[in-house]
Amino acid sequence: MSDEIKKLPEIITPSNKEVIVIGEVVNGEIKPVTIELLGAGRDLANKLGGVLSCSLFGYKLGDLPKKLISYGADIVYAADDPVLENYQTLTYRRVLIDLLSSFQLPPHVVLLGSTTTGRDLAPRIAAHFETGLTADCTELDIGPYEHTNKMDPEKVGLYPGCLYAIRPSFGESLKARILGPWKNPQMATVRPGIMLPLQIDNNRRGEIRKLLVNLKPEDYKSELIEVVHEINKSVNLTEADVIVSGGFGLGKADGFELIKELAGCFENSAVGASRKVVDIGWIPYQHQVGQTGKTVRPKVYIACGIAGAIQHRVGMSKSGLIIAINKDPEAPIFKFAHFGVVGDLYQIIPELIKQFKSNNLHLKKGIYSACVT
Amino acid sequence: MSGIRNIFVLIKQVPDQSSKAGINPDGTIDRVKAKRMLNPFDRYALQAALHTKKNYGGKVTAISMGPPAAVEILLEALEHDVDKCYLLSDKRLAASDTLATAYALHKVIQYVGDFDLIFCGLQTTDGDTAQVGPQIAERLNLPQVSYCEDFKIEENKVIAKRVVEGGFEWVRMQIPGLITVANSYHPLEYKTLRGARMVQHLLRNEEEKVNYIKTITLDDIKADSVKCGLKGSPTIVARTDKVSEIGGSCIVYQGLPAEQMVSNLVKNTKILEFIKS
Repeated sequence: MSDEIKKLPEIITPSNKEVIVIGEVVNGEIKPVTIELLGAGRDLANKLGGVLSCSLFGYKLGDLPKKLISYGADIVYAADDPVLENYQTLTYRRVLIDLLSSFQLPPHVVLLGSTTTGRDLAPRIAAHFETGLTADCTELDIGPYEHTNKMDPEKVGLYPGCLYAIRPSFGESLKARILGPWKNPQMATVRPGIMLPLQIDNNRRGEIRKLLVNLKPEDYKSELIEVVHEINKSVNLTEADVIVSGGFGLGKADGFELIKELAGCFENSAVGASRKVVDIGWIPYQHQVGQTGKTVRPKVYIACGIAGAIQHRVGMSKSGLIIAINKDPEAPIFKFAHFGVVGDLYQIIPELIKQFKSNNLHLKKGIYSACVT
Repeated sequence: MSGIRNIFVLIKQVPDQSSKAGINPDGTIDRVKAKRMLNPFDRYALQAALHTKKNYGGKVTAISMGPPAAVEILLEALEHDVDKCYLLSDKRLAASDTLATAYALHKVIQYVGDFDLIFCGLQTTDGDTAQVGPQIAERLNLPQVSYCEDFKIEENKVIAKRVVEGGFEWVRMQIPGLITVANSYHPLEYKTLRGARMVQHLLRNEEEKVNYIKTITLDDIKADSVKCGLKGSPTIVARTDKVSEIGGSCIVYQGLPAEQMVSNLVKNTKILEFIKS
């Protein structure tokens, strides 16, 4: 078997070995996911023996390009222009296509954040260059790949230096390694909050290259009218100390009344939900925790009637204390929760509310401090 | 008059992951045995297309790609009063990734004809990529609005509300254009009586079905088969691993009265310390 693999011809797909992170700016700051991608990208670039670069589009970027160097970029491609003040699909698309077309050999890897910007822009870029794109990765690596599929004879060979784009996959508990070594750049979007950034180092040296912005009339087929920042008091999942989430096990949309009541026992709490109940319309999307919803890290996460599929888990597994309530003792959530109660949540939750309220467990901050003195 | 004439909506049949049927022990899906359903995200796209027809006129055409069984979701679309359906079904499409899928679908769209708006679901539940919509827009050189939560049409332009992190945007888009609909859009309404009756009629009169659901192949749409299926896909799933379970550390209370279990839980979780920390 191994002899056979050794006979595979090595196939090198042309590239300049560069790893490019497509940076994002929001409210005059670099988005955290960009800094995380520089951490991940540094590792990939080192393994490829290439440079790590980062693009940044916006208006009045100031010191931000320099900051990207401090966070690990060797080269920053900065496009600073009033038309780029806010993200718009077609204008950003044009500048990025111009950048990626400007190399003699294509870049090896292009990474974007799995944000509403990255997920809007990346597919268009991949389609334009007819190259592969993997969405919502949770791990990245570089390594070889032996393609032996006889259905695809002209591609059979050993490919060194492939991007391993790893993501949770359909079903409950699968991780898929997706590769596209036949064409560069190999592209991926990466979930925010997962990759580790490098320590900031203001002594790092790098080069800033200014990009020219040449838009065409067709790039104005859509335009941004207004950006509205919403301070949503009721759904502040990412900043809540305690999140109480409901899933399909609630059995009905009304079940969320009970979830709200339990959340109401805590100061700075929020109501979360699994994707399934959002999909069927029991609760709005803003409450969704998980792969396609929000990634949260509260101090306490109480999952009620949530099976704990990987899509949900990636969004909440870093919570300080995870408590699961589910009637199915085999539910995957009991594999990674810290505490679990098996039973009917319509009995358990009212009991929890009762005990939180009646015992000396005054969970609202003010009352608690009065209690300890 | 808004001048809307043709509204396309792209829909997909996906395995029903809430059903245990067809889920292999290794976690992969047996698509033959699995229960099938209309991709939940596409229900919002379908509703957006129907709203457009109701408010601004035009005809709704539903387009899908998949095995012959995908006719089921097109019948479902007809029950919701969609006017006409196309199913691209061809063995050469097997193992298509998003790029190859978008290539094939954009050829179907060109084959079907002129359109004002194309609606897609944000993503599918079996792929989760949210890539096919924007990739079709790129192939057709169209403007797009993704994550669209609401919209209206004024002076032959779409004014769309797009959900972004920490708020939303209003975007003005020229027609023709493509919209991917967020799942915070209005849920799909009930089937119409007219639609349901018509589907009942079609199920009894197979020969009339072709007037409403046209099944086409790569040859019909003059697609380059090298750009489709396995050959046309720049990505492959090289391997899948079961996610290792952390397991074992969860303290589970069961088999006792609710009151007792909860009291044990409350005593042992040190919940206060966590909140204070």
